[in-house]
Amino acid sequence: MTTEKSTEELEAMDLESREVPHDLVSGSLADELSLKPEGVVDKAGAVIPMWRQRVRIFMHNKLAIASVVYLVLVTLFCFLWPHLHPTNQTNQNLALTQPFNAPPSATHPLGTDSNGFDVLGRIAFGGEYSLTVGFLAGVVTIIVGTIYGMVSGFVGGIVDTVLMRILDAALSIPLLFLLITLVTLFSRSATFLILLIGLTGWFGNARIVRGDALLIRRLEYSQAATAMGATKWHIIRRHVFPNSISNIVTVGTFSVADAILFLSTLGFLGLGIQPPNTDWGTMLQNGSDQIANGYWWEIYPLAAIFILVVVAINYIGDALRDAFEVRLIER
Amino acid sequence: MFAYIVRRLAQSVVVLFIVLVFTFTLPYFEPHGILAPAYVVLGTKASPANVHTWGVQHGMYHPYIVRLWNYIVQVVWHRNLGFSYKQNLSVWGIISLYVPRTVWLALTALVLTFIIAVPLGIFQANKRNTVFDYTATGSAFVLYAIPSFLLCLLVLQVFSFGIVHLPASPPSGVAPWAIFTDPVGFILPVGTLTLLSVALISRFMRGTVLEVLVQDYIRTARAKGCSNRRVLFAHAFRNALGPIVTILGLSIPALFGGALIIESVFNYAGLGIETVNAATYLDSPTVLGITLLVSIFTLLGNLIADILLGVVNPRIRLQGEQ
Repeated sequence: MTTEKSTEELEAMDLESREVPHDLVSGSLADELSLKPEGVVDKAGAVIPMWRQRVRIFMHNKLAIASVVYLVLVTLFCFLWPHLHPTNQTNQNLALTQPFNAPPSATHPLGTDSNGFDVLGRIAFGGEYSLTVGFLAGVVTIIVGTIYGMVSGFVGGIVDTVLMRILDAALSIPLLFLLITLVTLFSRSATFLILLIGLTGWFGNARIVRGDALLIRRLEYSQAATAMGATKWHIIRRHVFPNSISNIVTVGTFSVADAILFLSTLGFLGLGIQPPNTDWGTMLQNGSDQIANGYWWEIYPLAAIFILVVVAINYIGDALRDAFEVRLIER
Repeated sequence: MFAYIVRRLAQSVVVLFIVLVFTFTLPYFEPHGILAPAYVVLGTKASPANVHTWGVQHGMYHPYIVRLWNYIVQVVWHRNLGFSYKQNLSVWGIISLYVPRTVWLALTALVLTFIIAVPLGIFQANKRNTVFDYTATGSAFVLYAIPSFLLCLLVLQVFSFGIVHLPASPPSGVAPWAIFTDPVGFILPVGTLTLLSVALISRFMRGTVLEVLVQDYIRTARAKGCSNRRVLFAHAFRNALGPIVTILGLSIPALFGGALIIESVFNYAGLGIETVNAATYLDSPTVLGITLLVSIFTLLGNLIADILLGVVNPRIRLQGEQ
């Protein structure tokens, strides 16, 4: 498996990198391993860039495309609907002109909740927070996890040992316990939740990136670059990072889904986005109080939208992994 | 192998120390200062004099290093985890009350997960890309995407208030063996917890077995005329077991996290609810004690997983002896 990856990367280097002496790579090793540019050449005989092949594999996956379309639609709905069809989501109408727990009707397509808020409008309102916090927390996770893993795997030695023991310690505390403690100690603002979920979610990512860095550092092309006098920074930038990008992106995608799930769990415990704002977890919690009364519109439509969002993100992650999988490109 | 275990134990001690220092230091970052718990214990209108007395009694005015040292001496030397700020109980008392309950819940779910997910994953890999495989993979995908509290509510809606009327809450006595004396009450919480981890582990098992099935030794085994069953259970199973054992060891913290939600939905007084309460009351000795304990469980779990890995994989065992 290792050789397969390395030959593939040699090929990629041959195609993309002009900084490495050309004959050194393609002349001896590549010929020896009988690398032919099969399937990476278009009809006219021109070489197709790597990223276009990956996009093509991704586009072949109909469900992945459906997931992307669904996510785009939900995001557009969340951010545009409140402007197209403004509903009052902050003030309760105590004069009771706005009905509480009203079933779906023409004025309220998904009814109203126990505070008299329009449910459809509230799904969009809460979605803004859930999606933003989830996405940004995922980004924080990717950045911190990548840097930590790269440093640990590439510097090695005592630094690696210390960083890994710290990681072990972090991984041995249940994430939910940690989140609850920190949220109760500090703040429940959206910014803090983004930082908190992001800064507690990167442990797994760091492990994976470290493994990649350790592996790639020892591969022949990294050693060849070192022998030619490349600096560590150059090797990270030109070899380690591009070759671990597949894992970074794939695991990063799952991190976004996890962040959305963690935010909803905090919301369920009453520790999510605080009133007058809301998020999907808090809404599901409010709706679940009414589930025994038969007010289905307060929980099931949102539950379906929510679950499908997480499924879609995870599915995109899976499809991305396939798109980055070298063995599939050769087909 | 022995040297390996000793080295791992030493590593675990270091990791535990990091957990201890980290959890001990957290309250120092509390925005309202280190004396904030005094207002929870004595009430929000407590007089400054009383708060000061409380601070003196709890040694809050000592320097950080002295407090940390005292705590470590107490834990290591006297096996004393301190006294809860909020409840009239020692931390060890709280732990011994609730830990057995959560551990029974989590352990039963862990064993059931192993029994269900491993054969399911093998079966899926064997019958891959059939209707059964697609159904199982799809359900696992959706299950994995449902927030656990929502799954609990749906389970309650269907199995407690819907088609059957199973008890919605396990017996609330503190006897940890209630799971044996009244198993019916535990069907829903344990079942939900199991369902959550089966979704993850079976997907993982399927992937691992699929990776094993394309290896050369499987082809050799088939070429020698091995039956499909023997290939699956003698060759593939044994080789796929390694990653699964590791994952099971690593999933212990997640299991405790999942138990937290299960406990709060099914109203089962366990470690999870206790942690949430303690965190809400800024009861740091309790949070610290529980966190340390869960870390020990996790590290022990990982250690057992590594030893088991040596049992199922002779290569690792022999490597340790060299």
